[in-house]
Amino acid sequence: MAEISQHAMRRRAVVGEMRHLLFSVTPGAAWIVIFLVLPSAYLMGVAFMTNGPYGLPEMPLTLDAFERLAGFGFLGWSPGNLYTLLRSLWQTLLSTTLVVLVAYPIAYYITTCRERWRPIMLLAVVVPSWTNQVIRTFGWMNLLAPGTPISELAEGLGLIAPNMGLYPSNFAVTLGLVYNFLPFMVLPLYAAFEKLDTAQVEAAQDLYASPVRAFWHAVFPQTLPGLLAGIVLVAIPAFGMYVIPELLGGGKGMMLGNLVATQFSGGSNWPLGAAGAILMLIATFIGLFAMRRIGKRLGGGEEVVI
Amino acid sequence: MNKRVLRRGLTGFWWLTLVFLYLPLAVVVLFSFNAANSSASFAGFSLRWYQRLLGNEQILSAFANSMVLAIVSSVIALVIGCLIGYGMYRHRHRKLGWLIVLIYLPIVLPDIVFGISEMAFFVQIHEATGLLKPGLGTMIIAHVTFQIPFVALIVYSRFVGLDPTLFEAAKDLYATPFKRVLHFMLPTIKPALISAFFLSFTLSIDDFVISFFTAGPESATLPIYIWGAIKKGVSPEINAIASLMIGAVVVAAILSLFFSRRRRA
Amino acid sequence: MKTNKTALALSLAGLALAGQVQAQENKLYLFNWTEYMDPAIIEAFEEKYDVEVVQNYFNSNPEMFAKLNAGGVSQYDIIVPSNYYIPRLIETGLVQELDKSKLDNLDNVMEQFADPSYDPGARYSAPYQWGVTGIIYNAETFPDAPKSWSLLFDPEVNAQHPFGLMGDGQVSMGGACAYLGHGYDCTSMEAWREAARLLIETKSRETFSGFTDGTPALQQLSRGVTHVGLSYNGDFLFYKEENPDAFANMEFMIPDEGAEMWVDAMMIPSEAPNPDMAYKFIDFILDAEIGAQLSNYNYYASPNEAARPYLDKVLTEPPVQPSEADMERLRFTPTLEGEQLQTFQQLWSEVKSR
Repeated sequence: MAEISQHAMRRRAVVGEMRHLLFSVTPGAAWIVIFLVLPSAYLMGVAFMTNGPYGLPEMPLTLDAFERLAGFGFLGWSPGNLYTLLRSLWQTLLSTTLVVLVAYPIAYYITTCRERWRPIMLLAVVVPSWTNQVIRTFGWMNLLAPGTPISELAEGLGLIAPNMGLYPSNFAVTLGLVYNFLPFMVLPLYAAFEKLDTAQVEAAQDLYASPVRAFWHAVFPQTLPGLLAGIVLVAIPAFGMYVIPELLGGGKGMMLGNLVATQFSGGSNWPLGAAGAILMLIATFIGLFAMRRIGKRLGGGEEVVI
Repeated sequence: MNKRVLRRGLTGFWWLTLVFLYLPLAVVVLFSFNAANSSASFAGFSLRWYQRLLGNEQILSAFANSMVLAIVSSVIALVIGCLIGYGMYRHRHRKLGWLIVLIYLPIVLPDIVFGISEMAFFVQIHEATGLLKPGLGTMIIAHVTFQIPFVALIVYSRFVGLDPTLFEAAKDLYATPFKRVLHFMLPTIKPALISAFFLSFTLSIDDFVISFFTAGPESATLPIYIWGAIKKGVSPEINAIASLMIGAVVVAAILSLFFSRRRRA
Repeated sequence: MKTNKTALALSLAGLALAGQVQAQENKLYLFNWTEYMDPAIIEAFEEKYDVEVVQNYFNSNPEMFAKLNAGGVSQYDIIVPSNYYIPRLIETGLVQELDKSKLDNLDNVMEQFADPSYDPGARYSAPYQWGVTGIIYNAETFPDAPKSWSLLFDPEVNAQHPFGLMGDGQVSMGGACAYLGHGYDCTSMEAWREAARLLIETKSRETFSGFTDGTPALQQLSRGVTHVGLSYNGDFLFYKEENPDAFANMEFMIPDEGAEMWVDAMMIPSEAPNPDMAYKFIDFILDAEIGAQLSNYNYYASPNEAARPYLDKVLTEPPVQPSEADMERLRFTPTLEGEQLQTFQQLWSEVKSR
């Protein structure tokens, strides 16, 4: 008798737990499934459909969109999309590297300042990113247009052709990307520097004569998790960037994000755009996966955000 | 000696970076007061672009749309994200890998894929059922979708940071779950709720791409308006709206600093 | 008592519903090009029909077409596409056939627009304005500019100064075709290929500033971002009027190799929320005096015969009304369909991504 009731109670507890889980997690999970997983799945489906005469997806299913993405069309193979893909990869690589080069000393410098100043300094780095990315990019358009002091300077130094501004150009796109993503790198790096084990660093300084080697063996490994997190936070959105190339590139610096977007917003080819989106997703997941593997191998992986 | 040189170099680099970060914003603000319509030369101080702003109904309604969108989506995301965050905490010993993947999905998905998926999907649903007409409604849905994960993660990490015995104590103190939520849970996670709301709000204000693809004819937000204005040729009024937004952000930053100081004191 | 309450609740709900319906009926959604409508006309229309006009803008035909596909078909009452997009709007079922009995002022339309090639019998569209896409250049930079596309495409004619091309592929390709001697309205595969090759070469020139839509191109010219670009005659005069200093040295030119003439027409999307009001609006624009007021505001030639007596003088002379010789060189942008359209788009995306 007592056993049964205990059993029932336990069962009731389990049922209660499940109900609790259901109640708390379901609304959000359902929301994401209905409004993100299903739409994404639909988009994946569109990539396998035929491009109608006016750019809308139609039956039957086909791999045409992927062939087009790879450059095969009515006209034989052409390298346009490959250029776009390579340009996206190059811009991502270049801007992420530059962001690391700027953010690393900045994050370190902040940790060396007085504790009461640190939050203010971090805030100073982050505040520009609270303004909308369209506004930030617009600011650069103002600065880099022909006739502005910066453009005149570049012209005077012979860096650009006379009468041309620094915008629109690929250089402006790189600059815009670095500007846009700098805070995303500073924050995780700062967190890593703050946790730095100074005893280890001092020991290394005694052990290795040169400061470079001390840095490489004691400091760098400790900041690696932060660095990897930063790279993920910068490289993924940079690769899919749409606004900055559109405004600062002037149609010369088209990236994958623009290729995808114009298939929809220029009304030309939904299946091709969807195929481009799949390519972007694959690249993103490969990037995430590689980052995780590298992180794990180097020992800091568990703390990487993703 | 070497160290001092390094430190000086770093300080110099820090200030240079600050200039890099604020120069574009400063130029926007400066030219919003420009008497002439030019980005190359400053022709004297004037408030004419601000005056034109006040008379521009489209900008005012875009501002209203931005606010409604940010506030409504943040509130909805706060409720839903909070529930998920708590669920993840309570059931953290279970295998919830699928849930984690689901929650990270909106974060890692490139904006453009996110926005286009939703647009294509909403169009189909609208054609089939008449529901989900592109407009503020669809924008709110899209924004809530990318806000939920951030709220959930913030709330979750707050719960993880709590002493588990607190929950037992609360169980003894308050008889009904309702009272427990009201008198124990909500007050303890209040800081997390505030920062989650603040983050959601900022994310919503910062978003352009997703809004752009899910908007309808009457639901243009400020960034969408500005985008359109840039695309059709830069007008100095944009400098004025952008300056107001920059001003609002700076005020918000100072306020947040002030509050976090006071909380610690 | 209870029935009373129910009745009250019902009537309240009815009231709310009626209010909603009212609110919807009292709006007209207009999807138009930027700076293409006199605000005074909108005010007059709003007053006359007690309606609120909500205006939305697009910068290019592709953009407009994409918006309609993305749900706009049930959100706008009036759209104003250009001639070469009209057939594809009709064929995709995005627009509805006009009920001409509701358009009393249709007789005002000039004969040459009553049965246009892009919409035989004018069954779906009513003309709004017509104009020319030409080259606009800074005469100070190019004091003896040739009346030719070479100002854009020949690096020897313009070696040093930044220039832009049109974001709408069909217009830029047409220009390249004209320069190469295939005529602006080329559609043959060989001509296109050659034009695409020329565009790719042109794009790689250091002084190429980018692809822009017509109206923004004028802003770039006025700010010195470019010194030569492509835009429309009416917009050019409109901005010149608004900002005489910046446009003092700008000239509008129709190249001798031929260029684009276009007609923008009013159409009603197939699922327009308020078609009745849309008819009233079209009829309002076709009115003689309103039609003239519109042209006087935006500096485009009017397709409205009856409006002629009310037009300002500037509208009867070049560049609004091109000279006879220029008129003969102007062509419509060809309407592309099916495989031809897809081929074109592949070529164009190749140009853009290189």
